[in-house]
Amino acid sequence: MTKWDKYLVISIVLISLGSMFYIKNIALNQGDKYISVEVDGKKYKKITFPDDKSMRYVDIKTKYGFNRLEIHRDKLKVVEADCPDELDVKQGFIKNQGDIIVCLPNRLVVEIKGEQPVENEIDAESY
Amino acid sequence: MNLKKLIFLSLLVSTALVLSIVEGMIPVPIPVPGVKLGLSNIIFLLTLVLFGFKEALIVAFLRGLIMGIATGNISSLMYSLPSSLTSIIVMSFVYRYLSDYFSLIGVSLFGALAFNTVQIAIASLIMENVRIFTYLPIMSLTSLFTGYFIGLTVMVAQRRVSGSLMKFRN
Repeated sequence: MTKWDKYLVISIVLISLGSMFYIKNIALNQGDKYISVEVDGKKYKKITFPDDKSMRYVDIKTKYGFNRLEIHRDKLKVVEADCPDELDVKQGFIKNQGDIIVCLPNRLVVEIKGEQPVENEIDAESY
Repeated sequence: MNLKKLIFLSLLVSTALVLSIVEGMIPVPIPVPGVKLGLSNIIFLLTLVLFGFKEALIVAFLRGLIMGIATGNISSLMYSLPSSLTSIIVMSFVYRYLSDYFSLIGVSLFGALAFNTVQIAIASLIMENVRIFTYLPIMSLTSLFTGYFIGLTVMVAQRRVSGSLMKFRN
């Protein structure tokens, strides 16, 4: 085992660990999922999920009303709204691609979208 | 190529075949598909050291071909044959030009790296999915151990075998 062999081993370990860390952060982090917010049928905002474990709030204030989203690493919910029935708050977290929260009084639609088409799960039609 | 050399090369091919069959019986403790010991690389590297580049290519090609035909899964031939040939090209390059710097362990590590890279590239071509490259760091980490082991084995084997085999060359 020469000096250069050791350099080779060390550099392979470093590069592998580094790229594993990188892949874990970037590629496997729900990759291409994002949150699409529509108000009154029009695109209002596009939000990406945060990379770290912290959560953040996004306020959506339009002429139809006010909603506050709480966004975690891979899920989100509506925590506050000024609509009378607060059905969107009661719905709780959504996390899968295609899940949707609707607040009719405020004309708000929050949907988790992805770049890839939704994988079809087995349903009654498949049988 | 004289008869003794021919016989010895075919002995090497059959040893590589037996090693790959035995290797299939050893369970691998890591649940990553594609990770294996690669014991037949011992033979390839040994051939490279004892005989040379051309002979190592022949041995690797024959081993891959016979292994594919004998076990019946031709699809594994697509993975194993190009990757082992590339790894031999890389190993012979390192062994010929960089042997001042790297010992046989380093040569074997380079070969393992080339093998993994080509294999994953082929897999991503066949499955049409680039994300398989996320396996590459894990595979190269595990190949550190197998590559080290193979290099060490070839170093020992070369010392034992080379003296008695000098007369078979040419």
